[in-house]
Amino acid sequence: MTQTQTETILRAREEPGRGAKPPRGPRKSWSDIAFNVWGVLVMLFLFAPIIVIVIYSFNTGRLLVSWDGFGFDAFLTILEKPAIQNAVRVSLITAVFAAIIATALGTLAGIAMARHPGKWVWWFLSLLLLVSVTPEIVDAVALLPWFVLLGQDLGIGMFNDGYVRLSVGSSLFATAVVSYIVRARLVGQDANLEEASADLYAKPITTFRRITLALAMPAVLAGFLLAFTLSLDNTIVAAFVQVSGTTPWPVYVLSAVRSGLRPEIAAVSTIMLLLTLLALALVAFVLRRAGDSATQIARTMTGG
Amino acid sequence: MRSRSAGAALAIPAWAWLLVFFVAPVAMVIWFSFGYKPGVFGTHSNDILSLDRYAEALSPTFFATFQNTLWVGLIGTALCFLIGAPVAYWMAFKVAPHRRGILIALVLVPFWTNFLVRTIGWQVILAPEGWMSGLLQGIGILDGPLEILYTRTAVIIGVVYNYLPLMVLPLFVAFDRVGPALREASKDLGAGKLATFFRVTLPLSRPGVIAGVLLVFIPLMGDYITATVLGGARGNMVGQLVASQFQTAQNWALGSAMAVVLMLVIMLTIAVAAAVIWVVTLPFRSSNRLVLGPEETKTDADTPAPAEVMS
Repeated sequence: MTQTQTETILRAREEPGRGAKPPRGPRKSWSDIAFNVWGVLVMLFLFAPIIVIVIYSFNTGRLLVSWDGFGFDAFLTILEKPAIQNAVRVSLITAVFAAIIATALGTLAGIAMARHPGKWVWWFLSLLLLVSVTPEIVDAVALLPWFVLLGQDLGIGMFNDGYVRLSVGSSLFATAVVSYIVRARLVGQDANLEEASADLYAKPITTFRRITLALAMPAVLAGFLLAFTLSLDNTIVAAFVQVSGTTPWPVYVLSAVRSGLRPEIAAVSTIMLLLTLLALALVAFVLRRAGDSATQIARTMTGG
Repeated sequence: MRSRSAGAALAIPAWAWLLVFFVAPVAMVIWFSFGYKPGVFGTHSNDILSLDRYAEALSPTFFATFQNTLWVGLIGTALCFLIGAPVAYWMAFKVAPHRRGILIALVLVPFWTNFLVRTIGWQVILAPEGWMSGLLQGIGILDGPLEILYTRTAVIIGVVYNYLPLMVLPLFVAFDRVGPALREASKDLGAGKLATFFRVTLPLSRPGVIAGVLLVFIPLMGDYITATVLGGARGNMVGQLVASQFQTAQNWALGSAMAVVLMLVIMLTIAVAAAVIWVVTLPFRSSNRLVLGPEETKTDADTPAPAEVMS
C-alpha cells in the first residue's frame, strides 16, 4: 500500500519535468561530451555571420569586406543617406500593413478551423500547405504579371502603388503562418468556456470577443510579430513587385550586393538585429505569461 | 451558439485573399507557360498554345542548371539533417530542461535575422581578402588566398547555414515528444544507445523528420538569394534562371515554364524519395511488428520492438 503510494507520487513528480533525467554519476560518458561539443560548435556556426556583420558595422573602410579601422562612421553615414532611410521606412510600413492583414485573416481562419471543424478544414489546410511550400521565386514571378494585369490592364489604380504591392506580397505566407499558430493554440483548449458563455446568455459576438479571442490572444500576438518579422525579411517577392521609389530595405541591400557592399549596410542590419531581438523577446514574454513552457513556444512557432 | 456554417464563414476572407493573390497568379503563370514571347518588346502571348517553352526550358543550356540545383538541394538537405539531427537530439535529451529555452531562442535568432544580411555575413567571412582567409594563411593551412567564394561549395555552405534552423526546430519538437519512457524501456530490454536511437527514437519522430526535410528542401530548391550572393552572377540555380527570364530577358513565357518545371521537379523528387524510403524500410516494418494491446494505440504501428528482436 505505502509502496504503491510512493511509486505513484514519484511517477507524478517525474511527469511534469519530462526531460528530468535520473541523476547521473559525476563522470560524463564520451558521447555526452561529443554531443555538447557538437551542439556548441553548431551554435557558433549559426551565429558566426551575425557576429561578423555586427563587428563589421564598426568598419571605417570604404568597402564592407576589407577591414580598415574601428569607428562609428557607418552609423553616421546612415543619417546622410536618405535612400537608406527611405528603404528602411518602406520596409517597416509595408511590414506593419502585411502583418495587420495576415493577423486579421489568419486569426479568423484559425478560429474557424479550430472551432468549426468539417470537411472544409482539410481543403483549407491543403491551400495553406500549398502556400507555404511554393518556392518564393514562383510566388514572385506570379505576382508581378498579376499586379500588372490588375493595375494596368484592368485599371485598378491601387495595384500600381508600391506600398500596396509589397504589403500584399508579404502577407501571403504570413497569413498561412498566423492561421497555423492560432489554430494550434485553440485546438489545445476545449470549447467549454464558449459553451458556458452561451449558456449565460452572452450574445455570440460577445462570446467571440470576450472568450474565443481572449483565449487565442497570445497566439494572435505571437502571430503578428512573426508576420511582421517575416515581412521585413521578404526579399524575393519584394524584388519583383516593387515599384521604383518604394524600394524596401532588403531589395536595396540586394542591389548593393551587385554594385558593392558598404559598411552602412552592416550598420543598419545591426540596428535591425537589435529590433528583431526585442520583438522576439516580446513574443517569448507574451507566450510565457500565458503559461507556455519553452518547448511549447518552440512548438507554437513551428506551427506544430 | 452559432451554426457551424456561420462559424466556418470566418475563414472566408482568408480564402478569398489567398485565391485572389496566390491561386489566381500561379494559375496565370501556368497559363503563360504554354505561350511564347512575341518579338523583342512583348513579354508573353498566348494566341498559339504549345509545349515548346517546356522543351526550351529542358534544353541542354538550361538542363545543367536544373541538375545543379537538384544536386545542391539534395546535398544541402542531407547536410542539414546530418548537422541538425545531433543538435536537436542534444537539445531534447542531453541539455538540462531549464537551459532549453535559451537554446531554442539561440536557434531562432539567426532564423529571424534578415536572410540576405546573414548571407552577406558569409560573403565577408569567405572573401579571399577577408579575415578567415588571412587566418588560414597565417597558420599555414593555405598557401594562397581562400578561394571558396563564388563556387558551389560556398553556395552549399550558405544554404546549409540558412536552412539549418528549419531542420533543428521540427526535429527538436519531435524528439521531445518521444519522451524518456519508451527510450528507457528500450534500454531496460537490452538495446544499446544506437539501437535505441535507430529503432525507437527515430521511427517515433518520423513526422518531425519529414517536416524538417520538406521545410529545408523546398525553399532551398527555389533559392535565389544565397546563390546570387555566394555563387556569383553566373546563375547556377534555377531560381536565378527564372528571375533573369522575368527581369532581364523579358521572356515571361519561358520564365513561367521554368517555374512550373521547378515545382514539378520538387514534387517529383519528394515523391521518389518517399517511395525509396518506403521500400527500404519495408522489411523492417514487416519483420518487427509487435502488437501490444493498449500500447498500440499510443505509439505508431511500426514501432520496432526490441523485445521481439532479442528473442
